Parts: sequence; structure tokens; C-alpha cells
Amino acid sequence: MSDLVVDVLTGAVRGGTAIMFAALGETVSERAGVVNLGTEGSMLVGALAGYAVAAETGSPWAGVAAGAVAGGLLALVHAVMVVWRRADQFATGLTVMFLGLGLTSLFGAAYVGRAAPGFDPVKLPILGDLPVVGEVLFQHDPVTYVSFAAAPLLWWWLRSTRGGLLLRTAGERADVLHVHGYRPGLIRGAAVVAGGALAGIGGAQLATAYAHAWFEGMTAGRGFIAVALVIFAAWRPLWVMAGSYLFGAALALAPALQARGESLNQFALDALPFLITLAILAILGRRTLRAAPEELRRVFT
Amino acid sequence: MTTQLAPPATNPLTTPKAGYTAAAGRWAGALAGALAIFSVLLIAKGANPVSVFGQMMASTFTGASVEQIVIKAAPLILAAMAVVLPARAGLANVGGEGQVIIGAVAGAGVGLVVQGPAALPLMLVAGALGGAVWAGLAVALRVTVGVNEAVTTLLLNYVALDVMLYLIYEPWKDAHGSGQPATPPLSVEQRLPLLSGTAVHAGIILALLAAVAVWLTLRHTAFGFRLAVTGGNPEAARRAGLPVARLLMTAMLLGGALAGLAGVIQLAGVEFKLRPGLTTNIGYIAFLAAWLARHNPLPATAAAFLLAAITVGGDSLQLDSGLPAATVNVLMALILLAVLGWTAKRSPS
Repeated sequence: MSDLVVDVLTGAVRGGTAIMFAALGETVSERAGVVNLGTEGSMLVGALAGYAVAAETGSPWAGVAAGAVAGGLLALVHAVMVVWRRADQFATGLTVMFLGLGLTSLFGAAYVGRAAPGFDPVKLPILGDLPVVGEVLFQHDPVTYVSFAAAPLLWWWLRSTRGGLLLRTAGERADVLHVHGYRPGLIRGAAVVAGGALAGIGGAQLATAYAHAWFEGMTAGRGFIAVALVIFAAWRPLWVMAGSYLFGAALALAPALQARGESLNQFALDALPFLITLAILAILGRRTLRAAPEELRRVFT
Repeated sequence: MTTQLAPPATNPLTTPKAGYTAAAGRWAGALAGALAIFSVLLIAKGANPVSVFGQMMASTFTGASVEQIVIKAAPLILAAMAVVLPARAGLANVGGEGQVIIGAVAGAGVGLVVQGPAALPLMLVAGALGGAVWAGLAVALRVTVGVNEAVTTLLLNYVALDVMLYLIYEPWKDAHGSGQPATPPLSVEQRLPLLSGTAVHAGIILALLAAVAVWLTLRHTAFGFRLAVTGGNPEAARRAGLPVARLLMTAMLLGGALAGLAGVIQLAGVEFKLRPGLTTNIGYIAFLAAWLARHNPLPATAAAFLLAAITVGGDSLQLDSGLPAATVNVLMALILLAVLGWTAKRSPS
């Protein structure tokens, strides 16, 4: 039994990391007042760029960097459209998702089935030997270790730095920035691009550390899950982290049970995090949107 | 008379005819820009854009391709109406995909137990009801506890997909099938009849009738006018004594029913069994078709045909140029971006 718990928790971290990067990216974007349904597309181009660059250069770290750049560039399309062209955020986001789907299909065919150097699990000294905790947390790939720091860092940055304050103000009261001589559009655009870059890192982690492969449509809705997660987490980075691992656990439970001879329908479990999110929305009702950044609420009405 | 009272600017019904020439010019420019960018990508990929476009054109306008376009357009039109109708009341239905899936699931469920001539009508009704229920969940949360419908419909898409996958991997799985996760195929009398002399199923008639009905409803009925008032200014509508909550519910339920119908006609006209890739993003593409047309029913129908034609063009890309079929998503996205960003009056985002 405790064996099962360890397996599921380890799987939660393993499967939740890519979603967490994307959801943290979406948090950055939404805290500045922009919903980006194109996160799915940013993850996809990040996955392909990460895998392709790792294959060409031999360095998975170069792949992660390429994933960030690719994810950010795709998000730039969304930023230009919604910030400067004032296009509808939902329609543009979906369009950007299709753009990512098409681009990766066009340029990714050559990398299907091709081998590339990826990240292997590294057992951390001392920490990795701890009972239970060691196995769950400290026997992962290096990108996952980076991800442990990402959510707390983002929480701190949003809360305690000048940059974080500017970003939050762009999402709450853009007029105030105007009065003080800042350009809220620029801040918003930068936030959307940075969010896309984080999603791209998530995609690169998925391809080079989780799946060790590239195939068309490999993100399979994880980008949309990330958007849902941000609402579930009420726009708070640490809750995003917890929510990502909840999704990861739901993904890991069915295979873990099947390995022990129990049969369980994967899809009943997959629906669970969405149902939990819906239940939370129903219980909190109007209060969920009250937690939303002010400018974001306009998008949602 | 109603046109005078309808909300200004965003309602093109009130736009003077003169605007259409300028709009046509902007559309042409946007399309040319999208094609130019796509050409650059094709060159980067080592393909010759002139021959690629030539082959796409040539194979898109053969008889068989035109039939394919009509077949693909039918569910897109219905699912686009599922966006148009709630949008008139100010609701964003991003859940077309889920409503299409649940429509197909409900239709397939009836198909498993009912045979004979009553099967098909019952399947259509069940599909419409299924879609309405799925949309109803979201709008119920909106009018009771005030949760935004764009969020809930999006979430419900994933629940719908999991519901379908759950059913076809276990309880409804075809025991005599090839082992693939799918329901048993529909019997011949459960399938939509073909239009005589063509490969096109009767679903297109249903879709076109629905589009005209939505247009008539929005344009010429008191209900349509009330929806527009509610969408334009819900507070004013409330003060004028309109039953706002009931109007929102009705618009969304009708929309869900239309999306559900899209799911059944895809099942009974094209697929004949529930399988994982059944919807092929119908709900999302239809959402974009509705947006292209600024939520007007008849232009949205035209946009659905356009997007269907682009999708069919993708198949020719694969056959003639050896490019992956999904490449066509790039062309579709570029055209949409051009139109969304550069052809319309700026709407507040």
C-alpha cells in the first residue's frame, strides 16, 4: 500500500512538471490581464524546438532554452493581436493554438522516431536516500529540480519586487500605470511572451525528459489543463504547484493500480481534476472571479 | 423598427451597405497577407508554393472534394450556430467541442438500444438533448452562482471527452470489433440518408435549415430582440423587466442542442461509430467560424464552408505535396489572425 502511495506521488511529480511550467506561464499572463488559450500551442512548439535542438546540438539544456524561445515567440503573436490589435482573447488564443499545431506538424515530421539526447533521472546525494521523500522528490530529471524552485520564485517575484508590482498593476488597474508614465500595453505584452516561454520550457521538459520523443500533438491538452489550473489555483503560484501535482497524481494512479493487477478506467480518473475544479467554482461562485485580476474580469464578462 | 433599437456598432445588421466594399477590400488584403506568410513557410520547408497552391486549388474544386467540403461544413455550421445564438445574449460558449461530443455520445447510446425506423429520429433528439444538458450545466452555474460560462464550458469539454473515452474503452466497446476502442457500427437504418446521386448525407439540409432558423429568430422575432438587448446591456434589460436569467438559459440550451445535433450528424452521417478522434476539433473550428463572421448566422455559415474547404485542402497537401495534413492548420490560423486583427473595427478586449 505504502508502495502504491510512493509510486503515485512520484508519478505526480513526474507527470505534473510540464503542466506546472505551462500553468505558471499562464499565471504570469493572466495576472497581467491576458488569457492565453494559445498556451497549448506554446507547449507544442516548445516541445518540438526542445527536442529538435537537443537532437542537433547534443545538449538537452540547449533544447530547453530553444523551447523557451519558441514558446515565447508563438505567444508574441497572441500578445501583438490582443494588446495592440485588440482582438478577442479567446478567439485569438484558439487560433494561436492551431498555428502551433500546424507549425509543429510542418516542421516536426523529420523528428518523429528520431533519437535525441535527453535528461535522465539524477538521484541527489543524501536527499535522494531519504525514505519515501527521497524517492518521491529527489530522484528526478534536472529540469524537475529547477521546477521546484520556479513556483516559490514566481510567488516571491510577484509579491515582493518592483517588476511583480508593475505586472500586477497592469492586470488590476492599467490606468494607474498610465498616470505614472508606464505603458501597460508593453508590460502586458511582455507578460504574455514570458508566459509563453514558461509554457515552452514545459513542452521541452515533456519531450526531452518525460517522453524522450517527439510526436504530433504530444501535449494532448496539457496547455488547456494549465489554463483551467490557474483558475483552480485562484491565480496563486503555490496553488498552481499543488494543482499540477494533483493532475499528475490522477495521471499516475491508474497505471500504478494496473501494475498491481487492479483494473481501473483511466478516463474516470482523468475527469476528476476537472470535476474538482468545477466543484470549487460552483462552491465559491462569484468569489472565484473576485480573486481574479480586475482587468481579467472584463475579459470574462 | 427593431433595427433602430438594436445595439449599435457591433450589430452589422445596422451597418450601411456602403461598408461592404471596404470590408471586402480588407478581407482580400488579409487573405493575401496570410497566403504570403504561408508561402514563405513552404519555401523554408523546400516546397514550391505556386505548385502547392495550384494543386490545392485543382483538387479542392473537383466534384469529390466539393462533396467533402459540404460534408465537413455540415457539423461546423451547426456548431457555429451554437456559438452565435448565446453570443447574441452576451455569452461566450467555448464548449462547442464538449457539446458535440456529448451529442454524439447520446446519439450512439440510443443507437445501441433502439433499432428500426424510429432509431434515427430518436438519435437526433437524444443528441440535441445531450448537447443542451451539457451547455445547461455551464449556464446553470452562470445564472445561479455567477460562475463565468467561458471557463466552465472549456472545462466541460475535457469532462465530455473523458466520458466518451470511458464509454468506448469499456461498457460500450464493440466486443466483435478489431480491438480498437469504438462502439459497434450503426445499422444502415440508423444512418443518415444520402442526398440522391451524391456522397453527401442529409445532415447538411438540417444544418442549413438551422442556420436560416437562427437568422430568422435573431432578426425577426421578439425573442431575438430580447436576446440582443440582454447581450447589449444586461442591466438595462433587467430594468426593462426582461427575464434575463431565463433568456440566458434559453439561448445557451438552444445553442447546446444545435452543437449536440452536430455531434449526431457526424456520428450518423460520417463516422457510424464512436471513436476517439470523432470530433476532429469541430467545436473549436466552429467557434472561430462564428468569430470570423462577428456572430452573424448567415456569414458564419459561409465561414464554416470556407474553413471546411481549407481542411479539405489539407488532405490534398498530404497527397500531392507530401506535407503533413495538419500543416493546413497554419494556413487556417494565418487567415484567421489576419481577419481577426486587421479587418474589423477594434472591439474592446
